[in-house]
Amino acid sequence: MSRLYDTVEPSVIDDEMLKKAVEDQGPKEEAGKIAKQEGLDYSDVLSLRLDFRNVLKIDNLWQFVKLTKLQLDNNIIEKIEGLDALVNLRWLDLSFNNIEIIEGLENLTKLEDLTLFNNRISRLENMDALPLLHVLSVGNNKIDQLENLIYLRRFEDLRTMNLTGNPVCDDPAYKLFTVAYLSHLVYLDFRLIDEETRNKAHSLYENKLGELMHNEKQAKVEQDNQRKIETEKQKHVDAYVENLDDDFLFVALYKEDPEGKKLEMLPGIQDMLKEFKDKFLDVCHKIFEYGIQEYDKRTHELEEFYGCVEDAKNDNKAAGTKYIDEFELYKKKLFMDLLSSSDPTFIEDKVTEYHSKVNKLWDVIMGLEMQLVDQLEETIKDFERNLTDLMSLFVESVQGLITQLRDLENSHNEKLLETCMLVLEKVVKNELDEELPEDLRMLFVDKDTIVNAIGASHDVHLVKIDNREDEIVTRSGGWISALMKKIHTTECSRNRTRVVEILNYIDHIRDEIDTLDMPEAIRT
Amino acid sequence: MEFVIGSIPEEKIDEENENEDEVAELKEELDTIQIKETPIENSLPPGLAKIDFSEYPETYKDNDNKEKLILAYAENFRRQYIHLFRDRKPLLLNPLNECGIEKFVCTTIRPTLLPYKELYHWQGCAEFVSDYITMEQLKLPAELPKYLYSPSTIIKKQSGNCFDISNILCSLLLGAGYDAYIVSGYATKEICLSDETREICPLLKKQSVEVKEEVKSKPRKYAVKPPRDLRSKFIIKMEARKKREEKEEEEKLRKEEEERIAELEKPPPDLLYGMRIHSWVLVRGGKREVPEDFFIDPFTGRPYSPASSSFLGIESVWNNVNYWSNMQDCSNGCKDMSFDLSDTTQWEFMLTGADRLQMDIPDVEEELYDLDDEDQDNEDEKHLDMPASWTLPIDITKKQYETRCPMGKKTILYKKAKLEKYANYLMKDGLVTRLSAYDNNELTELRCVSEWYENREDKLKTRVHEGGIVTEDFVEGRPRSLKQHLYKATFPGPEAERTMLFYDNARVDGLNRRVETPTEMTEHFVNRDDFLFFRHVIFGKRQKKVAPATAEGPPRPILKITEKFHRNPAKTANDDVSEQVFVLSEDKVQITYHRENDNVTASTRDFFKPPNAEEKGGNLQWTSDMSITFQVNPRDANPKNLSVYENLVELVQTEQKSIQAVRSSEEEVREILMDRQKEELASELSISVYDTERNEKAKKHRKELERLALEEKLRRQEMEMDYLAPFLAQIGNPDKINKNQAFKLKEDCLADLKQRLIDKANLIQRRFEQETSELHKKQQEYQQKQVAMTKEDEEQYFNYCSEAMFRIHILELRLNRHKQMAPHKYMQLEQKLRQDPRLSLYF
Repeated sequence: MSRLYDTVEPSVIDDEMLKKAVEDQGPKEEAGKIAKQEGLDYSDVLSLRLDFRNVLKIDNLWQFVKLTKLQLDNNIIEKIEGLDALVNLRWLDLSFNNIEIIEGLENLTKLEDLTLFNNRISRLENMDALPLLHVLSVGNNKIDQLENLIYLRRFEDLRTMNLTGNPVCDDPAYKLFTVAYLSHLVYLDFRLIDEETRNKAHSLYENKLGELMHNEKQAKVEQDNQRKIETEKQKHVDAYVENLDDDFLFVALYKEDPEGKKLEMLPGIQDMLKEFKDKFLDVCHKIFEYGIQEYDKRTHELEEFYGCVEDAKNDNKAAGTKYIDEFELYKKKLFMDLLSSSDPTFIEDKVTEYHSKVNKLWDVIMGLEMQLVDQLEETIKDFERNLTDLMSLFVESVQGLITQLRDLENSHNEKLLETCMLVLEKVVKNELDEELPEDLRMLFVDKDTIVNAIGASHDVHLVKIDNREDEIVTRSGGWISALMKKIHTTECSRNRTRVVEILNYIDHIRDEIDTLDMPEAIRT
Repeated sequence: MEFVIGSIPEEKIDEENENEDEVAELKEELDTIQIKETPIENSLPPGLAKIDFSEYPETYKDNDNKEKLILAYAENFRRQYIHLFRDRKPLLLNPLNECGIEKFVCTTIRPTLLPYKELYHWQGCAEFVSDYITMEQLKLPAELPKYLYSPSTIIKKQSGNCFDISNILCSLLLGAGYDAYIVSGYATKEICLSDETREICPLLKKQSVEVKEEVKSKPRKYAVKPPRDLRSKFIIKMEARKKREEKEEEEKLRKEEEERIAELEKPPPDLLYGMRIHSWVLVRGGKREVPEDFFIDPFTGRPYSPASSSFLGIESVWNNVNYWSNMQDCSNGCKDMSFDLSDTTQWEFMLTGADRLQMDIPDVEEELYDLDDEDQDNEDEKHLDMPASWTLPIDITKKQYETRCPMGKKTILYKKAKLEKYANYLMKDGLVTRLSAYDNNELTELRCVSEWYENREDKLKTRVHEGGIVTEDFVEGRPRSLKQHLYKATFPGPEAERTMLFYDNARVDGLNRRVETPTEMTEHFVNRDDFLFFRHVIFGKRQKKVAPATAEGPPRPILKITEKFHRNPAKTANDDVSEQVFVLSEDKVQITYHRENDNVTASTRDFFKPPNAEEKGGNLQWTSDMSITFQVNPRDANPKNLSVYENLVELVQTEQKSIQAVRSSEEEVREILMDRQKEELASELSISVYDTERNEKAKKHRKELERLALEEKLRRQEMEMDYLAPFLAQIGNPDKINKNQAFKLKEDCLADLKQRLIDKANLIQRRFEQETSELHKKQQEYQQKQVAMTKEDEEQYFNYCSEAMFRIHILELRLNRHKQMAPHKYMQLEQKLRQDPRLSLYF
C-alpha cells in the first residue's frame, strides 16, 4: 500500500505545519478565540494529528511534552525517530507508512496503544520500554517468524493484538500458537478469543509452554537474586566495609609484592602464611561485622531524625493552617457585612479592624515559622553531634582493629625474617636439603639482599593496610559533611519558601480588601 | 458438735444421753408416718381445688418404701435439729405435695434440660422462669409454706411462691450442668415482694463507655522541644488552686444533694425485717465456667453477689443429692458466709453417702459382688442414697416457651420506669419490649419511651421517643439502607428537621449521614471514587404561588451548595479541588484547592458566571474579569485564560450535576418518608421459613403432603384383595360367622387354593408333554426323510429342535418351581386365615 516516492513531494514537519494543525485541532468557538488571543503553547497540547501530509521524517516535536495522543498515519515515514521528548504519550499511530524496523520507542514508557498497521516491519523487537502496552496493531507487515511472537510475552497488559496480513498468519499453527503463548490476550485479529480455542491451544502447547514458563520463572528468580546481592553489596559499600568479609584485602597484600610471592616457596613458610592468613581474615571479619552493625545504627538514627523533623513540620503546619482557616472565615463574614452595609464609619472601623487582624495573623504565622526554624536548628545540631560521635567512635574502633592487622603483619614479618636468616645460614653453609627455585635462590646471596627483600614486601603490605584505613576515614567524613550540608540546604530552602508563601498570602489578603467593591466615598 | 445424722433408726445410736428415748421416739414416729396420710378430701391444697387427682400418677399419691425411709431420716434430722437448736426456726424438709402427701424436698427437684438453646445458660433460665411464672407471696411472710408442688404442676399453673419457682429454676440449672442449690432463708421486703421500684431498670443503666487509653508514643530522640512557656508559673498555680477549690465545692454540693435524695428515697422501716422467709437459688462456682458463687432471685431472675445486702440469712440449702443446714452466723447477712458445703463445721449434711454417690457411678459388677457379701451389704446400707424424683418430667412446648409470660404479657415497675414485655408475634406491630422512663416516682411525668421490635418486615429494631424527638433504628437490609432516623414527632413530613444515618457500605453513593433543617441539608459520604465526602446545601424560601394546594409545590430554590473533597493522590495539590462553593444566588463559584505538603495556604479561584450560563451549552462569552485567582506560589506562572475558561465551562456542568444530586436527595427523603408511612400503617411481620407453626405457606404445604400420604395409604388398603370375599358371598355375607361357618370358610378357601395350584401344575405339565411329543414326532420325521432333505430344511429342523429344547427346559424349570412354591403358598394362606380378624375367634 505504500506510495511511491516519485509520485509525491515529501513534506517536512515545520513550524507552519504544526501551527496550522494545532490551530485546526485546538479549541473551537469562544475557547478558540481566547486561544487565539493569547496564543497556544505547544507544550500544552494534548493531542496532535499529522496525517495524510507526506511526512518523510518525524521531527520538531520536542516541544510537545504533554502530548498524549499522536497520529502520524498515512505518511511516508521510514524510520521511527524524534519521539524521545514525548514521554507522556499514550497513543501512537504510525500506520500506513514505510517503517521497516521498530525502534526509537525507548522513552515512551507510558505508551498503551501502538499502531503500526501496514508498514514493512519484519520483526517485533525494541519494545522493552513499554510495560503498559495494551493494544498493539501490526497487521499488514512482513512478520514471518512464529517464534518472534514469543517476544510479546513480556507485555502483561496486552489484551488486543492484530497481526492479519502478515506472512506468519499463513502458518496453520499461527492462531493456536499465539493464543497459547500470549495467554493474556482477549482479542486477536479483530475477534474475541473463545474458550474453546483457548483450551485447545493450551492443551496443544502445554508442554512447551510449561518449559518456557519454567525458564522464565528461573530467570526471574535469578534476576531477583542478582538484585538482592547488589543491594547487599551497596549496603557494604555504605558501611565502608566492602570486601572485608572475604580474603580480598589479604590477596591484595600480595598482589603487588613480587618478593613476598617468591618467599612463599621457602620451606615452612606455607604453614606460617596459613596461620597469618587465618588470623588476618579473622580480624577482617570483625571489622566487617562491626561495620554493618554501625551502619544499621546510623540508618536507624537517620530514620529517627527524619521522622521527628516530619512530625514537627506537620504539627507546625496544622497550627498555621488553623489560624489561616479562622481568618478566612472571618474574612468571608466581614466581606459580606461590608458589601451589604452603607454606613461609612462602620465600614471604616471594619477595614481598620481587618488590617489589624491581618497584621496579627502575619505575626502569628511568622512567629510559628520562626519557632519551627529554631526548633529544627536545635534538632539538627543535636543530630549532627550524635552522628559525628557515632562515626568517630566507628572510625576509632576500626582503626583499633586495623592496628591489630598491622601487628599481625609485623609479627609475621619478624617470623619470616627469622626463618629466612636460618635458611640463609644454611645456604651459606651449603646445608640446604631442598632445591630452591632460581629466582628465590637469587635472594639468598647475602644478608642485605634478603633483608631488603623482606623489608620491601613488608612495606608493600603496610601501605595496603594504611590505604584501606585512610579510605574508611575519608569516606565516612565525606558522607557526614555531605549529609549535613544537604539537611541544612533543604531546611534553608524550606524556610525561604514558607516565608515567601506567607508574604504572598498576606499581600493577597491586603489586596483583597483594597479591591473590594465598596462605595467609593469611604475609601480613604 | 454432737449431732448424728444419716444413721438408720433401727440401728442403735451410740450416744449415752437420750439414745433410748431416741429409738423409741423414732419408732413411734415411723409408725405415725403411715397414719399421717390425711384424708385428701378434707385438706385440699390451695389453688388446686379444681384439679382432678386422678390426673396425677401413683408417685404423687403415695410414698414407696425408699421414700418412707428418707422421710424417716428427715424426721430424725429435724428432731435432732430442734433438740440442739431450740431457738432456731424449723427447717423445710418434708412439705406436702399437691395431693397432700409428705415428700422430701430433695426429691421434688427434677433436673431437666429443655431443648431451647437459651435455656442452656443460667441467664436464659433465670429470665425464662421469672417471666413464665407469676410470683405469689407466701401466705404468712415469716412462716414456711406447708405445700411444695411438683414443677410440672407449677408450669401448668404458671404461678407459684418463691419455693416453687426456685424449685423449677434449680431443676433447669441442674439439668444444664450448673452446680445449683435451693436456698431457704431470709431476705428484705423488696426481694420477698419482688418490688423493684427502688431499683434502676437494667435497660436504663448506661453502659460505661470504656475510655481507651491512648497509646502514648515513646519519647523520640529528635522530637523538637516545645516552644518556651512564657507565662508566670505563680499565676498558673493560683488558677489551678482556684479551680480545684471550685470543683471541690461543687462536689460537696452534689454529694449533699445525693445524700438528701437517698434519704428521701429510703424505704420505710420494715417491721418484719429479717423475719421474711424467702427462697432463692445458689449457683456455686466451678462447673460450667462459673467463676464464683452467686445467687439468683427467682422472682426477677437477676443475679446477686452473696455480699448483697438484700439477702439476710440462710437456714438451709439443698439440691437433688443432699440437704445441708447452715451452721454459720447470719447476723452479718450472707456477706462472710462460706459456701464450701463439704466443711462440716459450717454446713451440716443429712445424708452421709451422698457426696460419694455424686462422685462415682457404682460399677455393676461391684454391686453383684456386694450382694454376695453380707457385711459389705450392711456397710452399704448405712449410706442411703436419695430416692428418684417423684415428680412428672418438666415439659414446655414450643408454643408455651414462646409465649413466655402468662398471656404473653408482663409489666415490671422499676424506679421511675415501667417495663412491658410481650411475646414475639403477640403484638400486631411486632413490639416485644417497651420501656417508659418517668421523671418522678409516681410515674406520671413521662420522659422517654423506648420500644423494641422483632420480626418487622420493615426492619425496624428500636424506636425511642424522647423530648419530642423520635429515633428509629433499623437493622441492615432495607431498600435504601437506612440505619437510623431521627425526627421531631411534631414534624414528620419532608423538609423538616431530621437526621438519617445509612449503612454506607451498602449504598452506591456511599452516603453515611444526612442532616436536614427546613433551610439546610448536609450530607456526609464515605469511600467515594470522586473523593467527595461532604455536601452542604442552603435553601431559600419558596416563592409564594397562588395555588399551593398540591402537596408537591415547586422545589425550594437552592441558594448555595458547598462540596468538600478528600485529596486525590493522582493530581497535584494545586489542581486538586478541596472545596467548591456554588453560590447560585450570586452566580458565583469559589474554589479552594488542596494545600501542598509544605504549604499552610491554599490556592483559590473565584468565578463570576455570566447569567444563565447553564443554558448556553458550554459556550460562554469570556471576559478576563470573570475569574480571580490566588496562587500560593508566586513564582508559578499564572494559568492561561484558556484553561481557566475550560475550567469554568466544566464547573457550569458540575454545578448542574450537583443541583441534580441535591434534588434527587430531596426526592429520596420524600420517598423514604412515604415508605415509612406505608410500612407503619401495614406493620407486617416477617416469618422465618423455618417457623413451621407460623409460616402459613409451609404449613399448607405440610398439610398437603400429609393428606397425600393418607390418601396413598387408603388406596393401597383397597388394593389389597380380600381372599375371603367370594366365600363369604356364597353364604350370603353374614354379619357374624359361627364356628361351623368359620371352619367351612377355611376349608373352602384352602381347598380352592389347592385346586388352583393343582390346576396350574397340570397346565404346565400338559404343555410340557405337548412340547415333548411334538419334538419327538419331528425327530422321527427327520430320521425318515433325512436323506431326501435339502440343506435348508435340515437347517430349519435344527433350529426348531434347539428352540423346542429351550421351551421344554423352561417348562421343566417352571414346573419344579411351582412344585416347590405350592406348599409354601398353601401354608401362607392358612396362616393368614388363622390371623384373619373374622375367623381368628375360632382358631
